[in-house]
Amino acid sequence: MHWLVEPGFWSNPVVGTALVLGAVVAVVSGAVGVVVVVRGQSFAGHALTDVAMAGGAGASLVGAAPLVGFLLAGVLGGGSMEAAGTERVRDRDVATGVVLGAAAGLTALLLYFVSSSSSATGSTQSVLFGSVFTVSPSVVPLGVAVAAGTLAALFVVRRPLLLSSLNPELAAARGVRPRAIGLAFVVVLAASVALSALVIGAILSTALLVGPASAALRVARGLGGATLGAIAAGVAAVELGILASYDSFYWSSAHRSVPVSACVVGVILVEVALSALWSRARARRG
Amino acid sequence: MGGLALAGVALGGCAAAVAPVAPGTIPVVAAESQYADVARQVGGRYVSVTAVMNNPNADPHGFEVSPSVAREVARARLVVQNGAGYDDFMGVVEAASPSPRRRVVVAQRVLGLAVSIPNPHLWYAPSTMPKVAGAIEGDLARIDPTHRGYFAARLARFDDAMVALRARIRSLRARFGGRRVATTEPVGDYLLSALGLSNATPFRFQADVMNGVDPAPQDVGTLETLLSGRRVAALLVNAQVSSPVTTTLTGLAGGAHVPIVALYETMPRGFTYQSWMTAEIDAIARALGRGRSTRRLH
Repeated sequence: MHWLVEPGFWSNPVVGTALVLGAVVAVVSGAVGVVVVVRGQSFAGHALTDVAMAGGAGASLVGAAPLVGFLLAGVLGGGSMEAAGTERVRDRDVATGVVLGAAAGLTALLLYFVSSSSSATGSTQSVLFGSVFTVSPSVVPLGVAVAAGTLAALFVVRRPLLLSSLNPELAAARGVRPRAIGLAFVVVLAASVALSALVIGAILSTALLVGPASAALRVARGLGGATLGAIAAGVAAVELGILASYDSFYWSSAHRSVPVSACVVGVILVEVALSALWSRARARRG
Repeated sequence: MGGLALAGVALGGCAAAVAPVAPGTIPVVAAESQYADVARQVGGRYVSVTAVMNNPNADPHGFEVSPSVAREVARARLVVQNGAGYDDFMGVVEAASPSPRRRVVVAQRVLGLAVSIPNPHLWYAPSTMPKVAGAIEGDLARIDPTHRGYFAARLARFDDAMVALRARIRSLRARFGGRRVATTEPVGDYLLSALGLSNATPFRFQADVMNGVDPAPQDVGTLETLLSGRRVAALLVNAQVSSPVTTTLTGLAGGAHVPIVALYETMPRGFTYQSWMTAEIDAIARALGRGRSTRRLH
């Protein structure tokens, strides 16, 4: 095992926090991600990450915990995106794009203020690309609480949510209110994005949301199986990414390690590629 | 609310006029406040000096240049900067307004060092400023030859003020030389080696924190062991930089009763270069001798 797990991995407190928080975040992202992919909301999910990014930048400007900033901005931005809700797909696409651009601009402004007026160096790096190795262990309880709340909310709305995603007419006939369900889901999505922003950064959290879920949907049969698969793939990506980042310290004599977010996204890409190969092979077999 | 207040300050800053130059004086721009002070000490009443980076609450590595800096540089007859990649924006601003009348003193070039030197905080080396002051005096005498005697006398006075500082460094070296300290950034490393202290922090970790990149968990672990095991006599932090890692480390040092010393990256207001360095050295001596922390300079 020594060649796989370099010495000190299990005893390093920084790694311990990262493994715990990473697993929690991956579970939420996997479960929420399956619904995102089924509803075709990947782009809205990405817009939310940009809104969350502005929140994270604002939080580091006022010295608040990044998770709080990610969460507040995501819920506010996502709520207003959904409330402004347009019925036509094209209008929705444009509205998402406008929100995304505005949020990214606001992020640039806030990060400029951070670097020119306060001493919080590294905010740009940690807000955009995450730094799970620098997360304080005191954040873990809050992260677990947000994750539990998000999963509980998703569990409550899952039936009407999936029905309105897959068969809107049937859902309407059964009295499901699509706007209310859409709003509830956007709040769940914002919480999930806020969590993954902590681990791999706001800008990359789309990868954790969409990647494992799309891979699992290709391989698994049924939504239940896909959700479990997405959770497994997400947890594997985060934990293997953390391991690879830790091990990469020993790959060069200069001890330049590869950032966690890059490692996690790399594992996700491999998973998506493997799932594509799998479904192609299955199609050929008929 | 903080964001709104800051936005007001920043927008006000855009409109602010460039500081006036007193008639008959040489306009000088220094990239950092410590070089501005040396230029003032040498130029005396025949120079009007402005410093580009003089906010002790901001991290100079994250500095972005404003239009008023461009106007000040365009007008300056003498520019003083650090070089070594620390204030590259100065080169950009100078290239934008080329002038054959403007002289540029680059500390790194005066010292004969390469641009790629890993630790750019050259002013913390006690041997740096006398050489930079000499270069400034030479250029001022060429710009304003009628006052060359005045500048030479001011340079002699600057060097006199360095004598006491060097004596203080020698006596502390004799007393504390060989003691181990930890740092979060390379800001004071040249002073540490002048004091004969041994820096237990890997340079890779210092560079990562300086550049705002996440340090490797292995290096964070090394620092945590040094502090919680009290294997170092003091933790020297950069007063102008804070990140989740540095906050965690100062917390650990506080818990383990390892004294903390704040080293400033640019000269704080109310100091001269010599009094600032003396204050930093005294703070290090208080930490090593009496175990007392200095989190701010006054």
